[in-house]
Amino acid sequence: MSRIGVFICHCGENISRTVDVERVAAEIGKHPGVAFSTDYKYMCSDPGQTLLKKAIQEQKLTHVVVAACSPRMHEKTFRKAVEAAGLNPFLCEMANIREHCSWVHENMEEATVKAIDIVGMMVERVKKNRVLPTITVPVTKRALVIGGGIAGIQAALDIADCGHEVILVEREPSIGGHMAQLSETFPTLDCSQCIMTPKMVDVANHPKIKLYTHSEIELVEGYIGNFQVTIKKKARSVDEDKCTGCGVCMTKCPQKKIPNKFDQNIGMRTAIYVPFPQAVPNTPVIDRDNCTWFKTGKCSVCQKVCGPGAVDFEQQDCLVVEAVGAIVVATGFDLYSIAEKPKGSPIKGYGEFGHGKIPDVIDGMTFERLASASGPTGGKILRPSDGKEPKQIVFIQCIGSRAREKGISYCSKVCCMYTAKHTMLYHHKVHDGQAYVFFMDARTPGKSYDEFWRRSIEEEEAVYIRGMVSRLYQKGDKIVVMGSDIAVGVQVEIEADMVVLATAIQPQKGADTLAQKLGISYDKYHFYSEAHAKLRPVECATAGIYLAGACQGPKDIPETVSQASAAAAKVMTLFSRDKLEREPIVARVREAGCVGCFACKKVCAYGAVEEKEIRDRQGNLIKVVAYVNPGVCAGCGTCQATCPSKCVELDGYTDEQIIAMIEAL
Amino acid sequence: MDKTLNYSYYPGCSLHASAGEYDLSTRELFNVLGIGLTEIPDWFCCGATPAHNVDELLSLSLCAKNMELADKVEGDMAVACAACFSRLKTAQHVLGENDVKRKQVEKAIDAPLKIDGKVKHLLDIIARDLGLERLATAVNKPLTGLKVACYYGCLLTRPTDVPNLDCTEAPTIMERVIETVGAETVDWTHRLECCGANFTLSRPGVVIQLTNAILESAKAAGADCIMVACPLCHGNLDIRQKEIEGVYNADYNMPVFYLTQLVGISVGLDAEKLGLDAMIVNPMPLLKEKGLL
Repeated sequence: MSRIGVFICHCGENISRTVDVERVAAEIGKHPGVAFSTDYKYMCSDPGQTLLKKAIQEQKLTHVVVAACSPRMHEKTFRKAVEAAGLNPFLCEMANIREHCSWVHENMEEATVKAIDIVGMMVERVKKNRVLPTITVPVTKRALVIGGGIAGIQAALDIADCGHEVILVEREPSIGGHMAQLSETFPTLDCSQCIMTPKMVDVANHPKIKLYTHSEIELVEGYIGNFQVTIKKKARSVDEDKCTGCGVCMTKCPQKKIPNKFDQNIGMRTAIYVPFPQAVPNTPVIDRDNCTWFKTGKCSVCQKVCGPGAVDFEQQDCLVVEAVGAIVVATGFDLYSIAEKPKGSPIKGYGEFGHGKIPDVIDGMTFERLASASGPTGGKILRPSDGKEPKQIVFIQCIGSRAREKGISYCSKVCCMYTAKHTMLYHHKVHDGQAYVFFMDARTPGKSYDEFWRRSIEEEEAVYIRGMVSRLYQKGDKIVVMGSDIAVGVQVEIEADMVVLATAIQPQKGADTLAQKLGISYDKYHFYSEAHAKLRPVECATAGIYLAGACQGPKDIPETVSQASAAAAKVMTLFSRDKLEREPIVARVREAGCVGCFACKKVCAYGAVEEKEIRDRQGNLIKVVAYVNPGVCAGCGTCQATCPSKCVELDGYTDEQIIAMIEAL
Repeated sequence: MDKTLNYSYYPGCSLHASAGEYDLSTRELFNVLGIGLTEIPDWFCCGATPAHNVDELLSLSLCAKNMELADKVEGDMAVACAACFSRLKTAQHVLGENDVKRKQVEKAIDAPLKIDGKVKHLLDIIARDLGLERLATAVNKPLTGLKVACYYGCLLTRPTDVPNLDCTEAPTIMERVIETVGAETVDWTHRLECCGANFTLSRPGVVIQLTNAILESAKAAGADCIMVACPLCHGNLDIRQKEIEGVYNADYNMPVFYLTQLVGISVGLDAEKLGLDAMIVNPMPLLKEKGLL
């Protein structure tokens, strides 16, 4: 005979405002099998949990139902409490009377009746719960970090400094990411290169970090603690072991006019190149699309001049498999482009700005390259069209961001600050120039941030105009900026020499494809989703995968570094154990009934279903049945719903349990 | 190719008054192109700017009632005037997503709403329903050598998600149509600027300033003429052109054609069938020079 305890939570007023919790406790106390029921203001708090534990022991309870919030919120909390009181944690279930009841109803009578029904259903269900043993799996104490920007570098260094091996994979030929492109950084104006490049060197020299640049993730298999990752090393055409990084090949390459992506295509590079002089690794790569040898079969100058004979035209892409226990995703961001968008894209371009066809209308990152001492102009602010110094410069914020009609609703968070920085850099370099900024709002929360923004106006003489720009057009060698000043209520027209657009931060291209390989979720903009917006901000819902930096949402450098260290800490928490306990909510196949149709295998998104041979004692094959690998199974239940012969059951969610719930209604 | 194109035609007030040549050239051109137009019996004013500035319900109701009348005629609704087009599309948009206003309008017009029929601007009918390929086959006097500045004004494409005629801020539909009949188009800066619209009556000074900028930009881009698809834009650019030239001491001499007039010339229609004599800035010297008369 079950002796079930039911614990009704008020959740402060969240539940008790619309649900008469005392009445629920009284009513459910009469339910067959319920030995004890009570209510309490905060069941998840220490006194609440103590109440629960005491009741289990004093009332000799066999099963527990906690009627409170969503199991996503506190199922773990209560199962731990139940375990501490000596019961198997899987004999505890939660009845969600907050999200499913009190939050969505206004009428107290109706909500209370519904709450009683919900709790009654869970009581019937918990009666059928089995004791489930915890599943343990081994942990491979090596981490994979995807993305070699500041987020990936920070996470990799933190994990490696704790003595664990790290595999760092970067798509570009060098690590450094966007931060390496920046000139100076807010709010202190320290040069990005000076704080970034030493960290890049630390990565290169760290004995525990294995660096794969010019490489991409091909395939991810396995599960928390036991991932197998296939990495595609794209052919560099230069042998990394032989190359000394002398750079002679680059000085001799006849192709010198290839736009350099690192310099936002305003600077030029050769066909054999490193993206920037401080690149890590300092090994060049051949851009096969632009190399004369690969295009015509003639040239090979680089090969001839290379002393150590490192240039290898025959090199092929190759696949490497690495075993890791945890993955940090740090793929960063890309900038919104105002160019015309491909058909079908939900994002619309800026036709009113000529879809980016005016040469001296540039984006913020291009301005960074112009302002950077290592940039294509050596740090001089010059117009891309004619190389003249702009004397009137207009900055426009919120390009793409916060523009629902253009397809993006969110704020990109960093633009207010970097535009303020740009006005300062401009003022420092062009003393007789005037900077104007069109802005909707100045959003400057953060340590020393608002002071920084004020400084751009009060000391650096930037003119801030609250209002947006409706149109840009070229008139002679000027750009006419037509905007409005909503503070004064007048239209403004400025003839500018250069216009800088603070374009929105978007996830890296291909973020969705990578997410599908990793089995993690993303939002409609393709930013990766964290497991809980407030309490699990660096973890993915998929166990063993963590997020760092702007791939999760727009972030500045300090925030990115913090999140990267947090992700590293989560990885280290995982690596602090030799064995990992997994929730035993997994599917099991009733082999006697299985006909081996493998419909379950086809629908399993996690690759958990395997084929298992059943043999008799003589070793003769009787049949092949499905087997669910409990280490891989994510407990989604799709196989259970699919099985035509009803031979797969998900522990904790068996048909018997579901039917019991329905019958309780 | 053989599908018959028939529309319920909503000329709008201007086409029965100051823009008579737009009405005339539309009927003649569509006749040549084999597109049927049946004028909606008993249609009336869409309310234009005054109605929606004063009373939204009135504006929505006027449009809804006209659409109800159009529903009785075969075919989608063909609209020539950019302002009528904008009001009708706005009414469809607003009533399509606001049940409260829907109910108010139904009460006002004392009939269930019939706003699901398509409302199409002439440009849409020519470029998409007829198609540019079919248009090209009708051309017998290509406008070779004529440099046209296509002027959209504010309402044809705006606001985003309402008229859905073309890209809001970088449309090309007018250019595509007129290039199909052999003309050249110029890339100019003011093709989507406002002409001042009906401020021509209350604040003519503002209108003259705005239209001057438009004419100046078209001239600077090397255009021979301007093509419009709106009676109000036409009035401001054509009728006021002499006055503008006087105020700004400029010499534009820039004929302002309706799109149906220019396309009409290319399919061989005579000047009188296109109402070219009604234009204030005389287009004849230009057309003669280009060998189009």
